[in-house]
Amino acid sequence: MLRKEVNDLLTQTDNGTAMGAMFRSYWIPALLASELPEDDCPPVRVKLLGERLIAFRDSKGRYGLMDEFCAHRGVSLWFGRNEEGGLRCPYHGWKYDHTGQCVEVPSEPEESGFCGKIKLKGYPLIKVGDVLWTHMGDKETRPPEPTWEFATVPAEQTFTSKRWQECNWLQAMEGGIDSSHVSFLHSGSLNSDPLFKGAKGNKYNQADKKPVFEVSESDGGLYIGARRMAEEGHYYWRITPWIMPSFTMVPPRGDHPMHGHFWVPIDDENCWAWSFDYHPTRALTTEERQAMVDGYGVHNKYVPGSFRPLQNKDNDYLMDRDAQRRGDTYSGIWGIAMQDASLQESMGPIVDRTKENLVSTDNGIIMARHRLRKAAVALRDKGEMPPGRVPEHQLVRSAARVLPPEENFADAMKDDLRVRTGVKQTSV
Amino acid sequence: METVRPTLLSSCAKAATAAEARFRVPYPNALTRASRIFALDAGAAEAMFAITEDPWNGAHFLTVGGASQIDPDATGVDDLPLSAPDGRAVLLSAEIKGADVVVMLASSDTRIGAAEVIAREAYERKIMLAGLVLADGLSKSSVDRIVAALRPYASVLVVASENDFIPAMLTALRA
Ligand code: FES
Ligand SMILES: [Fe+2]
Repeated sequence: MLRKEVNDLLTQTDNGTAMGAMFRSYWIPALLASELPEDDCPPVRVKLLGERLIAFRDSKGRYGLMDEFCAHRGVSLWFGRNEEGGLRCPYHGWKYDHTGQCVEVPSEPEESGFCGKIKLKGYPLIKVGDVLWTHMGDKETRPPEPTWEFATVPAEQTFTSKRWQECNWLQAMEGGIDSSHVSFLHSGSLNSDPLFKGAKGNKYNQADKKPVFEVSESDGGLYIGARRMAEEGHYYWRITPWIMPSFTMVPPRGDHPMHGHFWVPIDDENCWAWSFDYHPTRALTTEERQAMVDGYGVHNKYVPGSFRPLQNKDNDYLMDRDAQRRGDTYSGIWGIAMQDASLQESMGPIVDRTKENLVSTDNGIIMARHRLRKAAVALRDKGEMPPGRVPEHQLVRSAARVLPPEENFADAMKDDLRVRTGVKQTSV
Repeated sequence: METVRPTLLSSCAKAATAAEARFRVPYPNALTRASRIFALDAGAAEAMFAITEDPWNGAHFLTVGGASQIDPDATGVDDLPLSAPDGRAVLLSAEIKGADVVVMLASSDTRIGAAEVIAREAYERKIMLAGLVLADGLSKSSVDRIVAALRPYASVLVVASENDFIPAMLTALRA
């Protein structure tokens, strides 16, 4: 159960809200770099944290992200002409550079300097890895550029996708730290998904459906350890790191690439589910990359030409009752990503958490909400910058390992849970 | 069976809108839980007493007393020195009987023997046992010792750096 005022605090991210200010203190994923593939390419409409923006790449390769609407009479600049170092409104020809600065008002004499008075709100847009990131907060408190491992390994080792999810960011994110659903919802996929199957750890997952959880705080967020029985009284540990506000990584399986997510609010009733897969020490194989493109693992299939999943609420997610009955899939929905998304969207755009009945195994979620609330309030009331903004917090990995019963995962797996350049992931 | 296509908005997944959420049935979906919160040591009791006055849904806040370490093998279920916030002595058997949720609070490993006595009873009744380690002011090695000592008994172990997690967790669990 969560009181209504706390639910509102955590789920509302428009400008002027506490959680909105918190999201605005980070570099967050805004677009895939492939959405702006070349200089002077078509601009892209972007909605983030309840703000309607336009992204473009100018003639010199500079990225811009700014207010979507022309300062003159409010036309959408999506119709604009992206040429000669700026984006020109097609209505009366006002032109803006990549920072949102108006650089030309054709009706006014150039000498008047009028255009210098016109500036659209603009945010920086930088490319790190396959992602264009933005920081929508104050310049004075801008954090260092993102250092997440998935975005900094060589291009051939990593793959990122994004999909529109039709619900609030928090209920999507909570799925990422809800380790107890894996033995149920995704049980069918452990055997069949090319990006999951064959790992020794899967066997422990399926044999012991009642994992025991240990939740401990880290500087940037949480570690959620799930422990299952392995051979000879040993424990099979799977550790999920959560870094504030919304980065999670799935514990790895075998030598499969590691994966994880970012959940970024579009507005309060929609979010982007970013999903990445990477291998720290080797290139992804052609088969792996193809499987990701084909929507396996944490990725998904799309309505052609869009970022909307092919399975969506308009087609009941292509529910397959026969597959459900046969046990090919536990819920009848194909694919790990849409198994999660279908259920999270079914909760409604913003789930009413006053109605839920949490149990002890939900403590990872309880602690994450608690830390988010405290961080958002500390930023709002005292101007304290939240965790998760600095490289020390971002250089984490998930890990899976078999340990003797007396070992503490946080100690025994300390190195496994850090990024170690040139060292592969710790996995079973 | 032929697939029947949903005909109304509310009979397909498109009903996941704010407007349709208005029609969710308003009836309660759970009975009140019986929660038992055990403070295993003096530090935990102090942290617990800071919140026992808040409005709870009938949670029982219990303190393990006694001066020294409790030897679980020599302590029968009702030999555990246990008291309610008003100082009244209570019996573990009566407290565990009918409990739905059991949470143990620990800020030291000096009284872990009590955890074993409580866990035995909870296990008999197949009740989930959560352990909350209050790490505020403790060294890392003390926290590690408490975690290791509680691990055999708790199905969920949480290490909280600040005591304000106690009310957050109990509220979430509808204690
Ligand atoms: S079983 Fe968890 S939401 Fe229904
Ligand atoms: Fe999932």
